[in-house]
Amino acid sequence: MALQSSTAPARRPQSFTQNWSAYAFLTPALIILFLSLLLPAAATVVMSLTDISFLRPTSFVWFDNYIKLVSDSRFRQAVGNTAYYTVGVTLPTMALGLLAAVALNGKLRGRIVFRTIFYLPVLTSLIAAAVVWMYVYEPYSGPINGTLAQLGLPPQPWLQSPNLAMTSLIVMAIWRDFGTAMIIYLAGLQDIPKDIYEAARLDGAKTKDIFFRITVPMLSNVTFYLMIILIVQTFQVFGAIYVMTNGGPLGSTETIVFQMYQTAFGYTEFGYAAAMSTVLFLAILLFSLIGTKLMRRGES
Amino acid sequence: MSDIAQASAPAVPAVSFRQRWWPLAERAIGYGLLIFAALATITPFLWMVSTSFKTDAETFQFPPNFIPNSLVWQNYIDAIAGPDTGRQLINSLIFALGSTASNMVFCALAGYALARMQFKGKNLIFALVVGLLMVPAQSQIVPVFLIVQRIPFAGGNDWLGNGGTGLLNTYWGMILPTAATPFGIFMMRQFFSRIPVEYEESARLDGAKTFTIFWRILLPLARPAMAVLGVLSFQSAWNDFIWPLILTSQREMATLQIGLQLLQSGPDARWNVVMAMATLITLPIIIVFLFAQRYVIDGAVTSGVKG
Repeated sequence: MALQSSTAPARRPQSFTQNWSAYAFLTPALIILFLSLLLPAAATVVMSLTDISFLRPTSFVWFDNYIKLVSDSRFRQAVGNTAYYTVGVTLPTMALGLLAAVALNGKLRGRIVFRTIFYLPVLTSLIAAAVVWMYVYEPYSGPINGTLAQLGLPPQPWLQSPNLAMTSLIVMAIWRDFGTAMIIYLAGLQDIPKDIYEAARLDGAKTKDIFFRITVPMLSNVTFYLMIILIVQTFQVFGAIYVMTNGGPLGSTETIVFQMYQTAFGYTEFGYAAAMSTVLFLAILLFSLIGTKLMRRGES
Repeated sequence: MSDIAQASAPAVPAVSFRQRWWPLAERAIGYGLLIFAALATITPFLWMVSTSFKTDAETFQFPPNFIPNSLVWQNYIDAIAGPDTGRQLINSLIFALGSTASNMVFCALAGYALARMQFKGKNLIFALVVGLLMVPAQSQIVPVFLIVQRIPFAGGNDWLGNGGTGLLNTYWGMILPTAATPFGIFMMRQFFSRIPVEYEESARLDGAKTFTIFWRILLPLARPAMAVLGVLSFQSAWNDFIWPLILTSQREMATLQIGLQLLQSGPDARWNVVMAMATLITLPIIIVFLFAQRYVIDGAVTSGVKG
């Protein structure tokens, strides 16, 4: 808001009007962004240096929260879980999204139907999807174990097993996200000039070579972009875990945001939660910057 | 299939067996994989709908039936007749429509200013909007909660924001933090930048004022972008879970998403009723999407951001 207080030396009356109405157009949106993102981001950093809580008067503890985080084995487990989830979701989602996009880019019959079906999970409410998948994974009446039984295989305790719970969540996330990857890859494919393909075909290139030598390299920018979106998104996973496993069993699905939520609203340790959120923010920022760098290099 | 025949039609007289049939086989394999993937994608939805029509006993049958023995509409009635469902529907609608309307108004105004007007600090403000795109909203819920709680003069607060509950458990509190997004502003700016400047110039020559130009000329041209923004905002608020969960502690303020979670985690949860509720919650989004499908997919493609 400080930007606007410097009254513009109006050279012409019209430019003054332009200034004035531009600020009027911008003010509501800027106030909301200020209250919902800018101030909270700054507040998070400040709060992370304090022991703010409902339980006692606040005082500055400086880097104590961060020192505590480093030695907190629960937090380390959450970082590990988050990393496993992020890698487990991001790579298959991108691979499947790319395959679907390449398949549906041409004049294939029924491509609109396929695109709509693949995009449907993206639209579904996370909670509805979570509830449906809980049923799908249900050990006693769920369809997966039902199918296994009919094939004569032993049933699995999907979400109830410390070894399988995170993987089960990952499978569901891939189901939900690969429509996003497909859409973004479709956009990328439309930007590749058609004559490259024609030339390659005239030279007798095989489908496989065209895919790996032309399509994949030409999409490298899109791939990096998509990777960043997916990393930023999966780093923040919360709703599915809250509904489906509540962090369990044995903390095997506790992620950073989930632990942050518990620390803040379960134990009202806002300062410690803010330190977690700052670490998460820095990690996301780091990935975004690396991604942007790689993308720039890809362009030149 | 006929187009394949045509594609290979400008035939060099002798086509070998392999040249002739290989593309067909490739195509068949491709179709097979696509159909398999489509079935895998849609199966959870089919299970949701199928379970929503089962009797209680059939729900617990093992192995489960894919096609229910009879259509039990009572599950839908039970889902709708829940003591809080009506209230939750109203809450969800007010939240989603309020957030959608404010996003469409505020993001369009701000996007237009950033695309078309000259003013001091323009580059700085645009850089700020782009920078905020990167702030993970999910990790900011704690301070947003505290800010909403401490809004001055609301909910019994004094001018310093002390004493009361601020906007907690109110519609304003729910809508305000979602009322404009950096993504919405960015998308509208990109769209307005692409509209030829001549439209505005001729209107200005005719003596139209800035707001008239925006309202009468630019906004009607921006209908596709507004449709995308509207659908995405509606979808994001309708599906939001974490924010209403944290903001509302009172039962009367819960949204449908919270209601579904409560229904599922309740002591006597019935999968068939839970699935009926999940089906009902998913339907509006799918209906909105089918109406605006072309706009939404195009918009998601051109802006490259998750829908």
